[in-house]
Amino acid sequence: MSLLLSALRDPTITGQLSATHWNLLLRTSRAHGLCARLSWMMEDQGQQDHCPPVAWNELSAQRFFAEYMQSQVRLERRKLHRALAPRGIPVMLLKGAAYAAAELKVARGRSFADIDIMLPRDRLEEAETALERAGWLSETKDHYDQRYYRRWMHELPPMHHRERLMEVDLHHALLPLTSRIRPNSGLLWEASRPLADAPEVAPCTEDLWLHSAAQLFHDGEIAGALGGMLDLHQLSQEFGAEPGFWERLIERARMLQLERPTYYGIQFCVLLLDSPIPLRTQRAATAFAPDPLSARMMRLLVPRVLEPRAPPKGSPRLSTWLLYLRSHWLRMPPGLLTAHLLRKGLRRLPAGRRAAGH
Amino acid sequence: MTARGTDARSGPVRARTAFWQAYRIGPFLIQVGSSIRDLREQLAWFYGSPLGARQAEIIQFNVRVLHGPLYRRPFAPQAVFKTDTEAPFAPFPLSHAFPLLEWGLNWCIAMRAHQFLMLHAGVVERDGRALILPAVPGSGKSTLTAALALRGWRLLSDEFGLVDWQTGVIHPLPRPIPLKNRSIPVIRAFSPEAELGPLFPKTRKGDVAHLRPPGDSRQRQHETARPAWIVFPRFRVGAKMRLAALPDSLAFARLSQNSFNYRLLGASGFQALETLIRGCHCWSADFGELDAMVTALDQLPPPKS
Repeated sequence: MSLLLSALRDPTITGQLSATHWNLLLRTSRAHGLCARLSWMMEDQGQQDHCPPVAWNELSAQRFFAEYMQSQVRLERRKLHRALAPRGIPVMLLKGAAYAAAELKVARGRSFADIDIMLPRDRLEEAETALERAGWLSETKDHYDQRYYRRWMHELPPMHHRERLMEVDLHHALLPLTSRIRPNSGLLWEASRPLADAPEVAPCTEDLWLHSAAQLFHDGEIAGALGGMLDLHQLSQEFGAEPGFWERLIERARMLQLERPTYYGIQFCVLLLDSPIPLRTQRAATAFAPDPLSARMMRLLVPRVLEPRAPPKGSPRLSTWLLYLRSHWLRMPPGLLTAHLLRKGLRRLPAGRRAAGH
Repeated sequence: MTARGTDARSGPVRARTAFWQAYRIGPFLIQVGSSIRDLREQLAWFYGSPLGARQAEIIQFNVRVLHGPLYRRPFAPQAVFKTDTEAPFAPFPLSHAFPLLEWGLNWCIAMRAHQFLMLHAGVVERDGRALILPAVPGSGKSTLTAALALRGWRLLSDEFGLVDWQTGVIHPLPRPIPLKNRSIPVIRAFSPEAELGPLFPKTRKGDVAHLRPPGDSRQRQHETARPAWIVFPRFRVGAKMRLAALPDSLAFARLSQNSFNYRLLGASGFQALETLIRGCHCWSADFGELDAMVTALDQLPPPKS
């Protein structure tokens, strides 16, 4: 097992590393952007005093990026609220924005590429107009891309305010409209919880966990998503302490049709990160397993692409490609998928860009 | 570590010729891998011999400068700078490998060393107290820092003023000072002791030659210093020497603009900068003649505390 994975499983092992091992761990953590998160996990275990100061500086210095991005997220949230609140449009924070607003441990050291919010689908157009009036712009002008998002996806094309860089993703569902499974967004809104000191709401704890799993194992390409896996692990650690959480999670997975990603989430959390998930929950989740062949393929491929490797090694190509295909397969029906991949492929050619563009 | 890396450090004799070489520069241990022999020799000339064999220490910056594509080698050979995971710059001509490495290291430090408030400033020291010279490019900062380093001040750094934001002390980072264009003959004329490396003509910053950091600054590179004076220099041809005291608020604003990571550090950066400014005498300085400026800086009042 890679050293980074071992350290994430058990941060106390960092107390006994040689310099050579530290060099390997630092290079791997940097390549995967996990320095700051690892430093927080070590601090939770009281490891910072057992860590060579040089290594501690290297890891913890990266916290500033996360903190800076989180302050940008707070700013963007205030601006979004100002644009949407007068029209009475409710906002649900998703993923990182929700973790940070709820001050969950998983948010510490976590960097943000964008802010994800969910709006009721019937208020979407109104919200988009409000945001456009207030200075947000759509990031893509490409006709096909616009149509791709609007007809088939679970979110609008990403937007950003003309004076800021933060990307805003407006969701109206958890998974694409064309996806094999479509969790009912209404259920999410019903179970959502108010946040302390914030006007927005956030999904309930089970839904936060389920969304993270769905993102990773249904909508995502998995490769390179060690950070996403770590989200699930840390959410499991934090929410698992609530009485009855795991029972409610299994129940909720059924209601939201997220059985399969739940199965994978639980399986790989335990396998890769030794997450504290009760045995009876693990057993209950086996009812959500796919056919034996798929299960074996996933068990073979997922650890291969998530196992962090030290640079200059990247992720293994074949496994990455197979999981990429799988993610698209789950996203759209075969006919649509073929057309979409053809279109994306053609666009990479210089001549194709012109032909496919307009 | 790659197999080559371990191999390269197997004996002190091979250290000079090996692909990987390690250097300690102030608070950092830097490992440079290069296939370019001239570069390795220049490195050893500027920074002293690379560290000996089997150093089991934690490396902060692991970088490589490699030959560019083979097909360019016969006519316009190139050098490429790489970190572990990226190649942040377009290739340089092969003969400019050393300035490329220096800029690359600057980039690495600016991106990662947030245990420091990093000022864009030259810093020199006398009697344990530091004089900080923050400035935008073109204001004569490097030339002035070089001149002071040749006239009895200890060179702490030219590009990065590394302020430990927890303690407020400044860490030395003695590296070659890049002198540009007309500064090169000025420094040669200023002191016969100036040891300048090869001239790199027509880089993206014009002609560049580096001043080798004085031996003293390299030997004492772990001796930190407490800041005492902040002077914002501005060179203009023919300008009269003028030192003007700066109010703290103005000094704060100007220093924050001359920092690599002030915004990123948030509250820690604000507090560090405030402590720094309050503890220092702050001036702005116009000068048109190096000697007069150096003399003026020699007569700074005693530190505040």
